Amino acid sequence: MNYPVWDISMGTGMLMALVAIIHVFVSHFAVGSGLFLLVSEKKAYKDNDTHLLEWLKMHSRFFILISVVYGAVSGVGIWFTIGLISPSATSMLIHTFVWAWATEWVFFFLEITSALLYYYGWDKLTRQTHLWLGWIYFISAFMSMVIINGIVAFMLTAGDWPDTQNFWDGFLNPTYGPSLAIRFVFSLALAGIYAFVTASRIDDPDVKAKIIKWANMWIIPAFILLPFIAMWYIGNVPTAQWESALGAMPTATFYADLIMYAAIVTFVLAVLAWFMARRVSFVYSMVLLLSALATMWSFEYIREAIRKPYVIGRFMYANGLLESPSDTDGGFSVEKIDEKGILNTARWIKYDHITEENKVDVGREIFRVECQSCHTVDHYRGIKNIIGAKKWDRGTIYKMLDGLDLMRNAVMPPFSGKDEEREALADWLAQVTSAPSQKQEVSGDGAQVYNTYCNSCHNYKPHDALFRRLKSWNKEKTMARLDSLPALFNRMPDLELSEKERSTLIDWAKEQFNGEKGK
Amino acid sequence: MESKIIIPAPDPLALPAPYWLFLTLLVLTFLLHIIAMNFMFGSGILAFIAYQKSKSEEVFGRIYESIVKKIPTLMAATITLGVAPLLFLQVLYGQFFYTSSLIIAWPWFFVLIFLVLAYYGFYSVAFSTHKKSNLMGWILIFSVVLVFVIGFIYSNNLTLMETPQQYAVKYHEDPSGMNLNLEDPTLIPRFLHFLLASLAVGGLFIGTIGLYNWEKDNAYAKTILTFGGKWFNYSTMAQFIVGTWFMMSLPRESIRLFMGRDLTGTLSLTIGVIGAAIAIIIMSKALKSDDPRSGFKKAAWLTGLVVALMTVIREIVRESYLKTFYISHNFDVDTQWGILIIFLVSFAGGVWLWIKMLRVYFKETATT
Ligand code: HEC
Ligand code: HEC
Repeated sequence: MNYPVWDISMGTGMLMALVAIIHVFVSHFAVGSGLFLLVSEKKAYKDNDTHLLEWLKMHSRFFILISVVYGAVSGVGIWFTIGLISPSATSMLIHTFVWAWATEWVFFFLEITSALLYYYGWDKLTRQTHLWLGWIYFISAFMSMVIINGIVAFMLTAGDWPDTQNFWDGFLNPTYGPSLAIRFVFSLALAGIYAFVTASRIDDPDVKAKIIKWANMWIIPAFILLPFIAMWYIGNVPTAQWESALGAMPTATFYADLIMYAAIVTFVLAVLAWFMARRVSFVYSMVLLLSALATMWSFEYIREAIRKPYVIGRFMYANGLLESPSDTDGGFSVEKIDEKGILNTARWIKYDHITEENKVDVGREIFRVECQSCHTVDHYRGIKNIIGAKKWDRGTIYKMLDGLDLMRNAVMPPFSGKDEEREALADWLAQVTSAPSQKQEVSGDGAQVYNTYCNSCHNYKPHDALFRRLKSWNKEKTMARLDSLPALFNRMPDLELSEKERSTLIDWAKEQFNGEKGK
Repeated sequence: MESKIIIPAPDPLALPAPYWLFLTLLVLTFLLHIIAMNFMFGSGILAFIAYQKSKSEEVFGRIYESIVKKIPTLMAATITLGVAPLLFLQVLYGQFFYTSSLIIAWPWFFVLIFLVLAYYGFYSVAFSTHKKSNLMGWILIFSVVLVFVIGFIYSNNLTLMETPQQYAVKYHEDPSGMNLNLEDPTLIPRFLHFLLASLAVGGLFIGTIGLYNWEKDNAYAKTILTFGGKWFNYSTMAQFIVGTWFMMSLPRESIRLFMGRDLTGTLSLTIGVIGAAIAIIIMSKALKSDDPRSGFKKAAWLTGLVVALMTVIREIVRESYLKTFYISHNFDVDTQWGILIIFLVSFAGGVWLWIKMLRVYFKETATT
């Protein structure tokens, strides 16, 4: 609300994802390849292997074109993009970690210089100097990772930082160690995978087989190690947050499945290639590359997804609002906005008060400043479909807005603002989703009632409060109790289910999980 | 309502080091970036000119080839050196910079795409075995034009950043980020000013190729040195007109600073302008003599000084623009000593290692 929102229909999230994915893939490759080139070059000297050496020269050109050019520009790209998409968070990160970034910049400088000298230095420098440059490259690339990893991990698990605001508390946060391990081991695998790609184009089958196998010796062990490191990583993410990836949040769950398949496919392809190394084709190598890409991409995606509702763990929500107020926060905390209202706080809204005529437009602007960091109107995570599918009427929409922070394993910040502003947002949402003006009775069975009104906050699991209660209470009592949901639990919306809806819901719920034991 | 000035609140967190340290680093790293950028962009344009001339004069083919081989490395330097000022700018001027970037979000985002294309374009010419082919000529000019466009977008963003009066109107006109800042009266002269500076400084860079080849191939060295030197002269002369235009396009307030109101500003500008004039005279004389090397070097160093002064002037102009909206001494400071010391040590060590790498490299490659 402090900054304007870049209002594009495809959603800024997608754009960020696009820039990030390619950068991540390239930047990890750049680190692993440092060690790969170095070790391979040493090996070539030791074995007096001219084929390997010739291929390395060719491979290092490819390496330069990818890492020095693309890696550097897309790294700047990440900066540009997060500045456009989450300016408040970027500013906060910069103020906290500017010296970490500045230190990283020193290593980045050494990295680029040594990479170029390494490449241009083939056949011109003594072997010793050439390897020395290789070392400088690898160490500085690794140091960049050591630093950036701290900041990226911080956004997921801020550790004690929100309380102390001490640099080291934020930097050396709970996922720092496992995250660095995942990144480094993966970078070694990637170095092997890119080598695999350039090696697949070698004509001489013997040379090709030798290099493919050598590349594989980087991929296979890494993929054996990764599951263990992943477990270490998950162990350091708060359990409630990890739930998101286990079904509570649709998108995160999708990628949690994808990462397993992709990792297995990558591993199997690499192992198979070991036995047919002479015949590995370029297409084969590209499939391997793509499945590795899917693995890395899923990892980053899950990390971003389970971070929600926050952009900085337990501190700032994705829409830039602060979880708790402080003296200097400019009024951008949930609490203060509830008190003062959105129109009095958000700087880039055209209206300063609500009238009968501008209500719907105000609602649109509220959606822009509070929801659009994660939703679009009708593209990615489009609100039109999400709400439209539920066929909520305007009144239900209004009520549900009060419980956003309870939905889908708490992936959303609470709605923050005055009551009339919530009305305005509901009006606009009702308009775009062509919602009925009156509540209409759900015509289908209990499952449909559940999916319409309850599954936003409740999970289809035997141990969920809804199923536990509905199964154990007798029907009559339940009919009465469901008449007023807030009386059951004060944060539940008063959904005013009809008698028929209640009845079918209860009957249906009683039938669920009968084979399984409820926890 | 529409004419309201909207500026985001500054970041609530304290500065992790004193203001002056950030300002010094900002100006210093910006200076390095701008010099690398001038080398790269200027070399790009001059390479294209040499390419055209090579159709009639053999020697320019050689000049062209030796320039294009260096452009990718200059590009790497430009980008790498650009990261640091971008970082420090966000620390000090975040609330202005993020906002102006957001208002012109699409062009700003496209900088990245243009940059990748231009970069690969330069690389394909540098690595090509038929550098003089028509195709390579086209790729070169295409890349140069992309860099030109990038520079123009930068000028748009940085002028907009300094005029918060424009934010609200522009944003509400089009929140999707399809904006530029074309109405700003300083935009064109400012952009031309940078363009000419690139040509001049690029000319100096090209000339140094001549310096290094002086002993090896005197005739060629002299041609390339004269080529670079002449372009330095032409564009610096033109700079007197464009620079004056730029100056006059600034708000009265800012102009007055250089007319005595601000001592550093007035001195910097006076010395800068006189320095540039002297550089032209020295260069012209040198180019007429048999051995222009020492004159060329003098003019180059003098120009370095002028560029440094211009960077200081740039900062003074920015502050005067933002004066009413920005109080630089108002920051809370809470220095993060631990990591600051780590940075300073890495920085010193990094510079040492960087120089050592280059020395070792050039020593070994010179003997083989
Ligand atoms: C806006 C979110 C939200 C919606 C929508 C919602 N609930 Fe709940 N409900 C909750 C929360 C939060 C709890 C407390 C969770 C807990 O105790 O684990 C809860 C608890 C319950 C309980 C247990 C109360 C107790 O005494 O332990 C029942 C029964 C229940 N909900 C039924 C429903 C039914 C039926 C619907 C759909 C018609 C529904 N809820 C819709 C958020 C919601
Ligand atoms: C931090 C990001 C974020 C913000 C901000 C956000 N949402 Fe959501 N919202 C989500 C996610 C994630 C889902 C779950 C759907 C998914 O996984 O794709 C969701 C789902 C929903 C749902 C459907 C819940 C269900 O039953 O499945 C509604 C309604 C909704 N959001 C409304 C809003 C509104 C209105 C706002 C603004 C006041 C808002 N959201 C702000 C992330 C966000």
